[in-house]
Amino acid sequence: MFVLDDLLLRPFVGIVDALHTMALDELYDIEALEDERKENQLLYELGERSEDEYRRRKEELEAELEIAREVHDHLRSGKIEVKS
Amino acid sequence: MTNRYVYGIVDGEPIEFETDAVHGEESVYTISYRRLGAVVSDIETTDPEETDEDAQRHDDVLREIMDHDGGRTIVPMQFGMAFESDRALKNVLRGARPAFRRAINDIEGRFELGLKVVRDEDATVDVDTVEAGVADALEPIAAQSVPNDLFSDRLVTNRSYLVDRDERETFDAAVADLEETYDDLTFRYTGPFAPYSFVDVEIGAQR
Repeated sequence: MFVLDDLLLRPFVGIVDALHTMALDELYDIEALEDERKENQLLYELGERSEDEYRRRKEELEAELEIAREVHDHLRSGKIEVKS
Repeated sequence: MTNRYVYGIVDGEPIEFETDAVHGEESVYTISYRRLGAVVSDIETTDPEETDEDAQRHDDVLREIMDHDGGRTIVPMQFGMAFESDRALKNVLRGARPAFRRAINDIEGRFELGLKVVRDEDATVDVDTVEAGVADALEPIAAQSVPNDLFSDRLVTNRSYLVDRDERETFDAAVADLEETYDDLTFRYTGPFAPYSFVDVEIGAQR
């Protein structure tokens, strides 16, 4: 019975796994963060954002990018496990 | 151990001058293989961190080379290329020689200019009309152009242009005309840069 249960459950675990990976991808969206970093620079160059505001946002985005890259590295290496 | 940090590749006479180089170095010089030369400065690491300051120095050195000795053509490298030995670097020059020669031919006597057209915050613009207007004004003057990322919804167009040095003034005037034509758009016109967007040389062995 155990073998049967395991086989029946496996596809669902696979889907949960994929959904979890997609959610992490979206939460730590490197491309969106890169775009925001470039937009921050552009708005500063155009004089629409003060130097203080630009620097603060730049630091925030760089920190977020670093975390996002780490998460993606772990996702690729399979080090992040889905716990149910 | 000292490594070589590479800015770009030139053809012909070696280049050497004092400047604010990457990682606090104070001069750049050339490592040559036949007529090709890699313009380098010394560096302690082979994996330099891309700080804002060093990225700016990398760009500034490339610009100085472009102004050097009456104007030199350089195939620019992206930030971060460092080699452990002159031998490794010469091997790369030898291996990629045809690609470097092609790239030098493509960009000889030309530099890169950038144009971002930004819509004012509350403005609505017809993107197609603006794109067509910009293309009609600038494409006939430029030797080539490539689109860049539209990383913000404020950006209407974002392109890089490869322009002959001799056409610089004509290009400047065409951009100024465009600025006058479109009231609710801001034109962010930058350069000249080394033509990063128009060379495509892959270096396999970095070290």
